[in-house]
Amino acid sequence: MKRKLSLALVIVLVLSILAGCGSTATQATAGETQAPAQTTAAVTSAADTGDRAKISVMLRGSETSSAYKVWSSLLDGFIAEKGYDLDVEYELLPNDGDYANKLQLYISSNQLPDIFGAANGTFSSAAKAIGSLVCVQDEMTKLGNFDQMNPAVADFFADADDGKVWLFPESFNDEFFFYRKDIFAKYNLNAPTNWDEFLQVCDTLKKNGEIPVVIAGAEQWQIMRYLSFIPWRVTHDKFIMNYIGGQDKFSANAAAQKGVNLVKTMGEKGYWQPSFTSTNYTDAVNMFFGGQGTILYSGSWLVSNASEMYKNGQLGLFPVPDAPGLENMTTNIPIHGGFATAFNAQTYDKVMQEFFAYATEHYGNAAYEAGMLSPFSEPIPDTMDPLYKEVRALADQSTAGWVSWDDKLDAATLVAMADAQQQLALGMIDEQEFITQMDSQIKGQ
Amino acid sequence: MDKAFNRTSVVLMFVFPAFLVFSLFVVVTVFWAASYSVYDWNGMGEKTFVGFKNYLTLLQVDRNFWTSVKNTLFYTVWQILLQVFGGLLIAIFLTRVIRFRATLQTMYYIPVVISTVAITQIFGKLLSVTPPGVVNSLLALINPDWRYLEWVSNPRMSLFIVAFVEGYKYIGLYMIIFYAALVGVPEELGEAATIDGANLFQQYMHIKIPYIRPVIIANIVLVLNGSLRSFDFSYLLTRGGPGNSSELMATYMYKQAFSSLKYGYGSAVAILIVITCLIIGSVFRRLSRDSQEVI
Repeated sequence: MKRKLSLALVIVLVLSILAGCGSTATQATAGETQAPAQTTAAVTSAADTGDRAKISVMLRGSETSSAYKVWSSLLDGFIAEKGYDLDVEYELLPNDGDYANKLQLYISSNQLPDIFGAANGTFSSAAKAIGSLVCVQDEMTKLGNFDQMNPAVADFFADADDGKVWLFPESFNDEFFFYRKDIFAKYNLNAPTNWDEFLQVCDTLKKNGEIPVVIAGAEQWQIMRYLSFIPWRVTHDKFIMNYIGGQDKFSANAAAQKGVNLVKTMGEKGYWQPSFTSTNYTDAVNMFFGGQGTILYSGSWLVSNASEMYKNGQLGLFPVPDAPGLENMTTNIPIHGGFATAFNAQTYDKVMQEFFAYATEHYGNAAYEAGMLSPFSEPIPDTMDPLYKEVRALADQSTAGWVSWDDKLDAATLVAMADAQQQLALGMIDEQEFITQMDSQIKGQ
Repeated sequence: MDKAFNRTSVVLMFVFPAFLVFSLFVVVTVFWAASYSVYDWNGMGEKTFVGFKNYLTLLQVDRNFWTSVKNTLFYTVWQILLQVFGGLLIAIFLTRVIRFRATLQTMYYIPVVISTVAITQIFGKLLSVTPPGVVNSLLALINPDWRYLEWVSNPRMSLFIVAFVEGYKYIGLYMIIFYAALVGVPEELGEAATIDGANLFQQYMHIKIPYIRPVIIANIVLVLNGSLRSFDFSYLLTRGGPGNSSELMATYMYKQAFSSLKYGYGSAVAILIVITCLIIGSVFRRLSRDSQEVI
């Protein structure tokens, strides 16, 4: 009896384990069989007929973001115009970190989607290295429309190795300082032309109980802008590229040191709003356009938020001030093309080539409809807010593109710099400590 | 029946599934991480063997790592105070309350069932400075300058706030365990002590709390283990900042592996977390066993 009981127990346990494993195995087998079958079908179909079942798109953002609006409108228009029976599969990731991790995963496994967002830097280089990047410049040159791309935007996306544009620009963005004209007038202040004047303006505002500058300090790129303004005005991309290459360092570059001093002063003197390190971008924008704060560094993508205050005469714009005592380049309005989009070279079949041609032809209109300035030369439609024309005109004389340190730096140095700049601004470390940390960080890399 | 369960084959049959799952998902991954930790690898491309360089850099050069170690130890002490001793205090209070006991128990327990993301969002909004949250708005009624009091963005406060929020979430869990243990203390012991002249405080200090000592130790071990590996509250509330003021070992590991794309270095941090947990856990168990023997 006892032997039977123990035997029964063993049988029940073994059966339950086998049942569990069996069901998992069945699911796994089904999944494994299905996935290659789909891939094979798509490849065979694309190779034989020049057609495909779907276009896969991965974008950084949500369904309300401009990038999604533009690309979904282009893809829908393309499919309708050509009469193709194609599905579009979107993967939208609003969080920057999640997007970077997913992109890295796809690059590592060499399974990038047909269209994906990528900044000009580490990830675009990695995608290029595995042969998954279509050269946008070559393709547009073949189509005869590369010269329509804004030169400063093209400069922003120029590859560090070969100088070519491998990424499709999202938009034409110029950046500048919004300032409250009414508050400036109240204290007899003028728009600053150099950083000494900027700090004097901040000092006056602070002493009068105003919040001088609003910043989204929770976003690493915002404080990094202040760190990089002076090196950009003085060296364009030379300092950061040489720093990355190990030929320059903070301790040896006067412009970079002035950038460090600027961040320290802004934080230490309380020229940024209280709790700036936990203010995200949306809160900072809402705060400024809600009437708090006097100066906000932002750009053309905020025209719709700024429009009403601008019409009421409350708002003015000024460019990035000069670095006093140093030779500054003429361009003082940072221009960039936003977060770019890449086409996967490994899946760049006839359909994708047709779509690329369609996209270059219709991108401008789609961008304007999504409330962005086009990176190409189409005129701004009259239906758009007149402020768009003014912010675009600000950059008419600009030839050099903006250099985003957050795109250029490797991930480890970027994370270290993001932490150190917060510590610097909060007075947790001094300028010398920051410089030592950053110089040893890049040496380690 | 008893003999059937005493047979080695049957015992093994019960133990084996758990052993298999634990080995696959814990032991294997630890060894896997250990193997990564001797490489320099950014997650893409080739891995480069670097031996113990990652460990040497961590232990000799990386000051941020030591800050995260210091923060984690401080955080763990706070968690033990908040969750274990706070939970014990509330449990004692509940054993003395007669009316609305069930309502109070439920209220204390609610944070346990709310997700961590929701809790951190709630506290993020409550303690917000720009725009002013509920806490600062109320404080501003007392003193207008307090509208801009900084909490999570103050490097001297951020770690306390993160510890407080995690403690707030789990205090109810330990309260329930202690409450169950306290109501299990035989009433005769208390009655005998009362006859001997012990007051209420003395009853708890000399009879009830010593009686539930194994439960207290078990809870301390649980909190110790959880706090040394704590990740979610710091990451969601402050991302380890501002600067690295609320950086814990687990968030530092994540930052190194997944943000800095230094998988080898991040794995080395992970292995040091495992070693730290093992050392502190063993030392605590040894100390608690020794003190048990003394008693």
